[in-house]
Amino acid sequence: MLPWTLLGVLSLLITVPDALAVKSHDFKTCSQAGFCRRGRAISARAAEAKSAWKSPYSLDVPSIAITPHKAVFKAGVKSSLYPNIKFGLELRVHEDGVVRVRMDEVDGLRKRYDEAASWALISEPQISQEITWTAGKKDIRAKYGNNEVVVAFQPLKISLLRGGKEQVVLNGQGLLHMEHFRTKQIAETKTEEAAPEAEEGAEQVVMEVKKEVNPRAWFEGDTEDDWWDERFSTWTDTKPKGPESLSLDISFPSHGTIYGIPQHATRLALPTTAGDSPTFTEPYRLYNADVFEYLASSPMSLYGSIPVLHAHSADSTVGIFHAVGSETWIDVSHASDKSTQTHWISESGILDVFLMPGPTPADIFAQYARLTGTPVLPPHWSLGYHQCRWNYISSEDVRTVQKRFDEEDMPVDVFWLDIEYAEEHKYFMWDEKNFPDPVEMTNDVAANGRKMVVIVDPHLKRTDTYPAFKEASDRKLLVKPPSGDGEYEGWCWSGSSSWIDFFNPNSWDWWKSLFKTTALKSGWSWTSSTTDIHIWNDMNEPSVFNGPEISMPRDNVHHGGWEHRDIHNINGMLFSNLTSQAVRERTDPPTRPFVLTRSFFAGSQRFGAMWTGDNLGTWEHMAVGIQMVLANGIAGLSFAGSDVGGFFGNPEPEMLVRWYQVGIFNPFLRAHAHIDTKRREPFLQEEPYKGMIKDILRLRYTMLPVWYTAFRETSVTGVPVLRPHYVVFPKDPKGFAVDDQYFIGSSGILVKPITTKGATETTVYLPEDEVYYDYFSHHVYRGASKGKDITVQAELHEIPVFVRGGSIVPTRERPRRSSPLMKLDPFTLRVALGKAGSARGELYLDDGVSYSHEKGQFVWREFSAETAKKVVRLTTKNLGLERVGEAVDGVALASYDPGNKFAKTIGEVRVEKVVVLGLAGKPTSVKVEGGKELVWEYTPGVAAGGKGEGVASVLTIKDPKVLIVKDWAIVIQL
Amino acid sequence: MLLWLLALPLPALALDKTLGVAPAFLSQYSPPKSGLWKCLDGSKEIPWDFVNDDACDCPDGSDEPGTSACPNSTFYCQNVGHIGATIPSSRVNDGLCEPQCCDGSDERPGVCKNACKEIGEEYRRKRDAERKIQKTGAKIRSTYIAFAHKEKKRLEALVESSGQEIIIREKEVARLRDIADRTESMSAAALEHKQQSPLYTTLMSHSSALKALQREHKKHLEREKQLGEILDALRTGYNPNYQDMAVLEAVRGWEYLAKLPHIGVEADAQVAADLSVSDDEAGIEESEEEKKVEEAVDEDDWTAEELETGLEELLNTDYVSLLLAHDDHVRTPPPSTVFNMRSYLPESFIPQYEEMRETIISWLEVIGISGSDAEVSSDSSKARQAFNAAETALNKVKKEKKEAEEDLEEIFDINGFGVDGEWKKLDGTCLALDTGEYTYEVCMFEEAKQKPNKGGTTFNLGKFSSWNPSPDVQPGEPAYYEKQVYNQGTRCWNGPERSVILVLKCGTENAIHSVMELEKCEYQLTGTSPALCYPLDANANGSREEL
Repeated sequence: MLPWTLLGVLSLLITVPDALAVKSHDFKTCSQAGFCRRGRAISARAAEAKSAWKSPYSLDVPSIAITPHKAVFKAGVKSSLYPNIKFGLELRVHEDGVVRVRMDEVDGLRKRYDEAASWALISEPQISQEITWTAGKKDIRAKYGNNEVVVAFQPLKISLLRGGKEQVVLNGQGLLHMEHFRTKQIAETKTEEAAPEAEEGAEQVVMEVKKEVNPRAWFEGDTEDDWWDERFSTWTDTKPKGPESLSLDISFPSHGTIYGIPQHATRLALPTTAGDSPTFTEPYRLYNADVFEYLASSPMSLYGSIPVLHAHSADSTVGIFHAVGSETWIDVSHASDKSTQTHWISESGILDVFLMPGPTPADIFAQYARLTGTPVLPPHWSLGYHQCRWNYISSEDVRTVQKRFDEEDMPVDVFWLDIEYAEEHKYFMWDEKNFPDPVEMTNDVAANGRKMVVIVDPHLKRTDTYPAFKEASDRKLLVKPPSGDGEYEGWCWSGSSSWIDFFNPNSWDWWKSLFKTTALKSGWSWTSSTTDIHIWNDMNEPSVFNGPEISMPRDNVHHGGWEHRDIHNINGMLFSNLTSQAVRERTDPPTRPFVLTRSFFAGSQRFGAMWTGDNLGTWEHMAVGIQMVLANGIAGLSFAGSDVGGFFGNPEPEMLVRWYQVGIFNPFLRAHAHIDTKRREPFLQEEPYKGMIKDILRLRYTMLPVWYTAFRETSVTGVPVLRPHYVVFPKDPKGFAVDDQYFIGSSGILVKPITTKGATETTVYLPEDEVYYDYFSHHVYRGASKGKDITVQAELHEIPVFVRGGSIVPTRERPRRSSPLMKLDPFTLRVALGKAGSARGELYLDDGVSYSHEKGQFVWREFSAETAKKVVRLTTKNLGLERVGEAVDGVALASYDPGNKFAKTIGEVRVEKVVVLGLAGKPTSVKVEGGKELVWEYTPGVAAGGKGEGVASVLTIKDPKVLIVKDWAIVIQL
Repeated sequence: MLLWLLALPLPALALDKTLGVAPAFLSQYSPPKSGLWKCLDGSKEIPWDFVNDDACDCPDGSDEPGTSACPNSTFYCQNVGHIGATIPSSRVNDGLCEPQCCDGSDERPGVCKNACKEIGEEYRRKRDAERKIQKTGAKIRSTYIAFAHKEKKRLEALVESSGQEIIIREKEVARLRDIADRTESMSAAALEHKQQSPLYTTLMSHSSALKALQREHKKHLEREKQLGEILDALRTGYNPNYQDMAVLEAVRGWEYLAKLPHIGVEADAQVAADLSVSDDEAGIEESEEEKKVEEAVDEDDWTAEELETGLEELLNTDYVSLLLAHDDHVRTPPPSTVFNMRSYLPESFIPQYEEMRETIISWLEVIGISGSDAEVSSDSSKARQAFNAAETALNKVKKEKKEAEEDLEEIFDINGFGVDGEWKKLDGTCLALDTGEYTYEVCMFEEAKQKPNKGGTTFNLGKFSSWNPSPDVQPGEPAYYEKQVYNQGTRCWNGPERSVILVLKCGTENAIHSVMELEKCEYQLTGTSPALCYPLDANANGSREEL
């Protein structure tokens, strides 16, 4: 007992410096989780044994069976530790070269959880028809293109090679260990021998007895370390299935940088947790948790988990997706600058790893999107500004806030209601005293083209007068306690509560029916709502105030008898995904839902947005918010943002202004604040801050065409909306660790938000030999082929935003109260000529709310500028016609009608202004081809093709009266 | 397909150049002879054709009065039949019919209908109703002003009369001080001797011990009260949903100790009735019951009530007088009338007597038959008492005068009771609103309270601190009196001190209409008062109004 107590004290001591904000002691460290401790112990023993270490696992060669179509083979696996236990291995090569590796215990005492992938994948991946496995003496191989997968027999080792070079290696370090199911030895020895002695003594005896006969100690250690009942703080996890963890090392011998495995508050390029002087001493943890006042730099778990990792080097990017839903810890170390080792320790579940061969980041995004789906194309309005607070206290309050925005002429699209709208936190049920007229209130908001988002959390107050609880209880849809009988009861906002088990398919249609705005015969529905109300799903980790680690006991029972531990990290996703479907299906035909979720998993990107949870109003949190949003993006979940202003605390005006600058360059833009904070809506600020925030919000709205166009691309390709440097310039090692500046889609917009107090300037990294224009001043900066740092002004009212030379940026510059009111506004085109005198840009538009784009009702244009013989031609063409097949996600349109219904609605929308940056000289004539001379102004300045820096030459063409939906050309004669 | 490609851009609708121009600027929107038009800020010259061509040319936005092309400019709708209105350019052609532009001119023709007739009528109806209220309110307000003037006169008279009284009383005090001083100087030595008696010294130590005990007791009572308040605040203010077991235990423990029902649990009718008497009183009643039980233990013991009132009295005993009285008591028979002549003398002779007596006694002392120190001391003490009483009376009058002067100053102070003193009438007037769970009460210029309707602690939401503190509002302006700030109320558990902003507007009644807690423990109350109903402007008939 003593060592354990000591350990506890030690770990407490260690966490003391961290305990300033977060309640670290509420959450486990690796050493407090039995399976993680056991997993790390294996890796420690391996490190000690050095080259003498050899994995006990090997392939049972005679059992190899290659399926007829030959891209799949199955074989038995044996462990020398437990010769009588059988394991099965299966490798499949998908059509796109992704390799899926599955391993499970065969004929075990129980079944390991093997459904994690089924929740994450959009469909069963297509198995290659061409690739074949060939078995040799030492290994079995499949070669395709430049890639090769090799499974070595003894010890078992699985490698993905490209050009003969190892890219990903499983069990290369011999840390693979699948703890098989076993029967609990009811301590017979104890009763026999330990009667007069203390329990500790008994254990001692048992251990000693085992030591003599235990041939597995070299690998497993010689104690049954927390195999069964496990205590943490005041909770006991009964662990009826005993030890069933999975340890797996995944190495990237040729990749020195890794990204991914969100959600952690840390750098995009993941710092080390193991090896020599690691940055963090704890492994990265994936165990969805409601961490109060989380740290701005920590490998601790946060609200969501996506077990996806990118390993990157200048000549190759590979990725892995580990489909596991149980708690998982990941150690990261580098044996050298050019290689990376990771060690994955999961509490339960089968081994189900997808190896994504790349070789570029874009390929990884496509490969991952084919597995788990592309990000959703959100409703257009949801890219506007969201105003939230815990809480707007009444319908009058909501109306007043809206009125104040309008009085100040500040744009806003969505007003949010946090938990206090609900009587006793019974979600859906309006507190009638303060919200006597929810429908009228929503209609008043909708009258200005706006929406409302209202919170619905997964904990249902246990009272029979609450229809959601009553119906769920009657239908037996609630999560069960460890006994497997009855309803699990925990504590959350609503007091004594229960949770719907969304793993039970019977819950799905029922949950969807609750959101209908019309009365149903079958049961309760939310008739006091309208289709202008969308949903916020919070607390879906799930957060349980009186549960272990503020969550649900792991031995709770879900549908199919699975324990909560098996599905914990998937749980939150099902809730928000189902809610998203519910909101979509409220109307017939369906309309695009907006659902914000705090918890997420691989696959969440298909349904909605996430935010980085309850951040603090500090500069550190502002900065790490950007890194977290970037990390989410590369793991598929692009529609992300962090709370503007910080959830906790009262940011000073400077911080608030900077936070809005950060916020408008997040895909999801929402200001939110804790109930204890002072009100801080933009209109409440004093000048000059109020004016600054108004300008910042208006800037977001002018750039909505850029964002929506970027989202279309992401929704089809999976390449994130926010693109870190390594994604855009994968061959530039100087950019690998850059995570404080990024590009928006393919627009050519480069942003470096300021996240430090008192900043007046900043350094921006330009990764290529190209011109970059300051978005506002049109100042020309020149990068270099080996990369270059430039220093730019960044006073409080200034945001370092650049347009990459060679880009055409479409914007809408007329301020409006909300984004739907911009529908018929004209466009401005910023033509930022590149060094070569050319530029390109895209614009995608559709009605923004329905699914009619899937039927071809959209406008997708390309703008391009080419310089030839003193003539710059600015032209546009219809990408809908040219690339119809890749226009819309998930729909292969056969044809495109340029005169479609949507295009007609914007038939009169024109380009009101064209700004051409970097021309070589003053034009002699500017005309629409076939038309009269246009009205234009020219300010001399730096030419893109020249060598100087300074303000670019600017040609401003007034109202060329060309239409967005039409083909045209503007000819600039130099 | 071909058709679509050949379709030509629609010609932009040629807009009236004066569309959206406010009447004051109309003269500047006429075709210039040169064909070049100057932006209103003079910064640029543009072709006349560029005015209202739906593309922004002027830095000040003045070339686009009728479109949304220039940000931050304005659009004027004439609203014939109603009142003209100016809206931001961001609302022009946005697809929404602005309620301010009832003529629909903010959108393309055909989008919005002209509703100026109905809206105008409705507006006038509403305006008339408001004016009626204002008129009635203004009448009430004039009575407030009359009250202030009356009050002023009363206070002035009070200052005057108390001034005179002070002069008389000051003389009296001076005289009595003189007597007391002289009497005392004579008896001081004798008194000192007596004070060394064991009885007196013991009494004094008892007294100081009692005083110390009382001080400590009060300190503890105060601490207990504060702790009670903290715990009450915790009990009513904590969020049971946070599931902090330590907090929950503290609340339960307090409820047990203070015999309160568990918060959130509906108290049974009896308990609720008991508690609804008034939170503070209920608490006292309960503790009184306890005290009664304790009382039965020993009849000689003081009850808590006696302690509360009697102890104070006991400790205020003039020990010197007591010492002298004691001497009187133990000396039998009572002293001869020679030494107590005063009782036989008419009041007006006493001063002379005292003087004479002094002479006699000093003479007696000299010849050795003095021996009646007690009587002397007793006299000196009585003289002191008379002086003290006179001085107290003087101070009281002085205080009254000072207060009256201060009140007088405040009545017509723009930072006090308003320009016309119209708020004086409401000084101390309490307005209340029952919101179901709580009753909010504001006693104007005093304090604001939140009283729970179902039992629990009444919270002080703050004391009157100021009128509208906004730097944009000057004292004396109507807007200045539309807000009252009450702050430094009881601190919230885990939050700020409670405070109230009372937002008032003209109404025929003094009343609170709504309460909102916009931020934790910061309450916004809205209400009405006739004090804000200014007399209607004779020429405000709306003909040249703008919305």
